[in-house]
Amino acid sequence: MKENQVNMEPILRAVNLTKHFGGLVAVDNVSFDVRPGEVIGLVGDNGAGKSTFIKMISGVYQPDGGEIYFDGKKVSFIDPRDARDLGIETIYQDLALAENLDVGSNIFLGREMKKRFISEKLSRTIISLALGLPLSALLAWLGLQFFKIPGLAVGLVFGLAAGFVLGWLLGPITQIVDRRTMMGESTKALKRLDIEIPSLTQQVRNLSGGQRQSVAIARSIYWNAKVMIMDEPTAALGVSEQRKVLTLVRTLADHGVPVIIISHNMQDVFAVADRIVIMRRGKKVGEELAAETTPDKIVSLMVGAETVHKMGVIPTSIEGNSAAA
Amino acid sequence: MTEMEISTPKISKKTRAERLSTIRQIWPWFFLILMVIVFAIISKTQNNVTFISYRSVQGILVYATQILLIGLAETIIIISGNGGVDLSVHYTLGIAAVIAAFIMRAMYAANLPPVLTIAAGFSGGILFTIVPGWINGTLVAKVKVPPFISTLGMGYVMYGVALLISRGQAISDQPSYLGQIGNGNLLYYWPKHGFSWLKIPAAASQADLQHIIPLVPNIVAITLVITILVWFILSKTQFGQHIYAIGGNIQASIRSGIPVASTLTRAYTLAAVLAGIAGVIWTSRFTSGASNAGEPTLLFAIAAVVIGGTSMFGGEGRVIGTVIGALIIATIQYGLVVLGQQPYWQYVTVGVVVIIAVIVDQLGRKMEHS
Repeated sequence: MKENQVNMEPILRAVNLTKHFGGLVAVDNVSFDVRPGEVIGLVGDNGAGKSTFIKMISGVYQPDGGEIYFDGKKVSFIDPRDARDLGIETIYQDLALAENLDVGSNIFLGREMKKRFISEKLSRTIISLALGLPLSALLAWLGLQFFKIPGLAVGLVFGLAAGFVLGWLLGPITQIVDRRTMMGESTKALKRLDIEIPSLTQQVRNLSGGQRQSVAIARSIYWNAKVMIMDEPTAALGVSEQRKVLTLVRTLADHGVPVIIISHNMQDVFAVADRIVIMRRGKKVGEELAAETTPDKIVSLMVGAETVHKMGVIPTSIEGNSAAA
Repeated sequence: MTEMEISTPKISKKTRAERLSTIRQIWPWFFLILMVIVFAIISKTQNNVTFISYRSVQGILVYATQILLIGLAETIIIISGNGGVDLSVHYTLGIAAVIAAFIMRAMYAANLPPVLTIAAGFSGGILFTIVPGWINGTLVAKVKVPPFISTLGMGYVMYGVALLISRGQAISDQPSYLGQIGNGNLLYYWPKHGFSWLKIPAAASQADLQHIIPLVPNIVAITLVITILVWFILSKTQFGQHIYAIGGNIQASIRSGIPVASTLTRAYTLAAVLAGIAGVIWTSRFTSGASNAGEPTLLFAIAAVVIGGTSMFGGEGRVIGTVIGALIIATIQYGLVVLGQQPYWQYVTVGVVVIIAVIVDQLGRKMEHS
């Protein structure tokens, strides 16, 4: 399996990405390959540049130097939507769920399925004309009564303008959400990833943290994520929920979707990652195969080996160290 | 076929939270029924008047129309969340009434055909409200002025403009047929003679009038149609879905590609147009237009929305809730009239009901999420 992945063409390549904020170099010449089906742990202390790096490949920031290749083609992102259109999905810690809506509505948030009826443009045009023409005739006649010919002209124009505005206001009335199909599709999407949620009609606010995380992941997968980036996916979860989310991450990789996980938690990283990329002060300081390294080694790379020697202790989790940044 | 089987979701399985939220949604019905019973008992024992009658129902519905229309506007805005509340709708109602009355007075004085006079007056009043609504929406969605402030300001502007147009007085001298719309009925029933649409049968003499039963007041029918329309928009359309999403989590909505700014602008415009419709209804009921036509309604409407279980924090609420809220307030108002009490009691009663409603709502929510 590992052999296989190494030989596969990377789906996403970041080459020498650099980002400055004023005088500060947040990310300095970092290169990075992502191949189908692998889980990459991206680790580093606070301020190491992980988030900035991730934001460049998800389109939030534009790099000051370096290139991004997706599927072998050079790409550049103006905003996150460009990256998402290609299939680079980022799940932030807040999950971007509307907690007042049900599971199905969240999976289709902003991309609701609609009943095939008429297009919004056509419905706008029809409403504009249906209301605008009589209004125009009425106002033209009225203008003629009180102000002669100029009144007629003003009335005509004003009536059509009013019709146009009413079309804009009422046009969306024909765009009906198809809840049945959305529910059915959501059920399938969740089933494909072995996610269990008792009732899809309940508000997301009634779900547990892990279930919410799963909904966010299912949404990305449903919309054809080709690369998934997850920021601290287990941070706010209980132990059993953490395990479920990590299993889900593994499932994604087995479906061929590579996952980049940002994490502080060495246990999590070693539990799921095939490869671990370590960043320190904006630079990539190491890249290890998880099977061939130890948490101690990763941590010493994260904080700088000399620091660890001075301390004389090697923590297995870096969480206690985060105050250092 | 197998595809279909997979896609059938398990909707029947209800969780405890869902059951509790159903209870929370239907308690205002019980409250309404309880109130009607209380009024019925008191009016029978104290005043010897029958409260539960067709006339009462009609009276309550007519009382409820204005509160309901403004309440629907508030429902849309409050669901859109993020501090959303529209403090200008009652003055928007006022300016629509003034403009409609202004146009119709001029056309009536010029002896123009009645149908066109009504059409021009009504459409003029309603169309004008698009202006304050759109400005409100743009201020909130694009300029990011808090809704509380932008609508407060816009309300005063509209009030001022309405006062300027009407010179501070009610615009009367309206055509007589105007009142037939606002006070007429869709259907009249004359026992032994049958039904007649829109008009009292011409054959009826003065003595027959008391036997003719008016069914379905026009303004109630209009309000019903508009209520169904707003319900449809909020619960069936993508636009409605987006309003709920924005009210629930505006950041997630932006990131999911929902056109937040245009949705909000449209929502505020729609609210203003609803107020405009309420305005021309007022004009046709009282055959006059006044800048303060909607003055007491704003807080009653917000009260109706709150009683109906719509969350002031946005993202949650239903049109049917607002309907019940408006009916409860109208029942209080009408009931006090029937009992011959001072009408000022309505404020006391509505205030108490609102507070009870919020307490019940909060308790219900707490139980759902525990």
